[in-house]
Amino acid sequence: MSTTVTIEGPDGRPLDHRGSRRLSTAEQWTWTLLAAVTYTVLSIWHKWLLNWIVGPVWLVGWVVIGPFVADQIVRRFRR
Amino acid sequence: MSWAAHQFEIYAVQAHLPKKMRGRVSFFGIFFGDFTPDFLAKFWVYGITINGTHYGASVPHKWHRGFPGMGFTHTLFFGFVCAALIWLWKRNRAFTVGYLLGFAAHALTDVNDSVGTMLLFPVTWLSWSVETWAYAATIDGGKYLDAASYYSSLGLVMDLFWLVVVLCSWRVLTREYWRTNVVPADARAWAWLGRWIPERGLVALYQATFFYGVCRLVSWTTWAHVVAEPVIDGVKRRGYPFDLSWTGPWWLEARTLPHVNPWIVLPVTLVLLAFVYWLAIRWWERMGAIEESTRVRRRSRTGTD
Repeated sequence: MSTTVTIEGPDGRPLDHRGSRRLSTAEQWTWTLLAAVTYTVLSIWHKWLLNWIVGPVWLVGWVVIGPFVADQIVRRFRR
Repeated sequence: MSWAAHQFEIYAVQAHLPKKMRGRVSFFGIFFGDFTPDFLAKFWVYGITINGTHYGASVPHKWHRGFPGMGFTHTLFFGFVCAALIWLWKRNRAFTVGYLLGFAAHALTDVNDSVGTMLLFPVTWLSWSVETWAYAATIDGGKYLDAASYYSSLGLVMDLFWLVVVLCSWRVLTREYWRTNVVPADARAWAWLGRWIPERGLVALYQATFFYGVCRLVSWTTWAHVVAEPVIDGVKRRGYPFDLSWTGPWWLEARTLPHVNPWIVLPVTLVLLAFVYWLAIRWWERMGAIEESTRVRRRSRTGTD
């Protein structure tokens, strides 16, 4: 069994070891699904995208950058 | 050859580890073990074309699975040799056992196409094949015809079977599972990656092979049956025809190599799979003791705690 120390940000949301926001399970799957749909649709016509490098980078990129960009947009609108 | 099945089976191996190995076998080991055979052999199967000149294997299926050729990379013997070298180099039980199980999964899954693998190499160079679907890598057709053939035959069913196996063990894909079972077995590697990537990215990296498998399964199947316009027997069609009969599809000549009777292949494959797991279980404690004594020796040599 592992124990997880949860750190909270100023807005009360959980942060990870690097201070990045931890995603809820639903959020993680939503970003994964968005990555999957975009990757699959594009790769039907652009087969060079289907490889071991682009596939993982595509997913990690969406899951890491997507929430960051979304948070920035939400913050700007709140101001 | 198998396509997305190889991406799904690593999660199946991870989810169905023997009880005493759970949370202690390296996922990276399973991944690299499963990745090694095609990493070494497949590039030259399709080859590359530069300025109209094709560079690659003259007989792709023989190069991929036969001997002489790179067929030895798809044998359990080679898997054991690689695992032994890794063990002698690193004395890392988690990675070595993971590597062996991943490698075995790849070599044993590939008995399903019409070329099969040399299961008992180097004792015999004969191929072991169940001939479930046609092996279709050719110089002219390349990757596209290979994919079209695979996703029109029982190969598609094979991919879906492995997908269902993983989905039945869906917890293996969750963040909680990654945190409690995957990270502890590879703590140093994940900690190193965690210096640059946030946790959500690390979880995504763990799920990436499954993601890639699902996407290529859907993408190639859609391309083969909706987008492609092949000419078969002089008739232009919209999409390649499905053929879920044994050794299908009918519209392509299945490649073969000298092989044993297909009826004995499945039982022997299952026996070999059981043998690999039996060995891993049997060696588990002993390897742990050796790993620990090596660690103590290294600590005393470097003077660290």
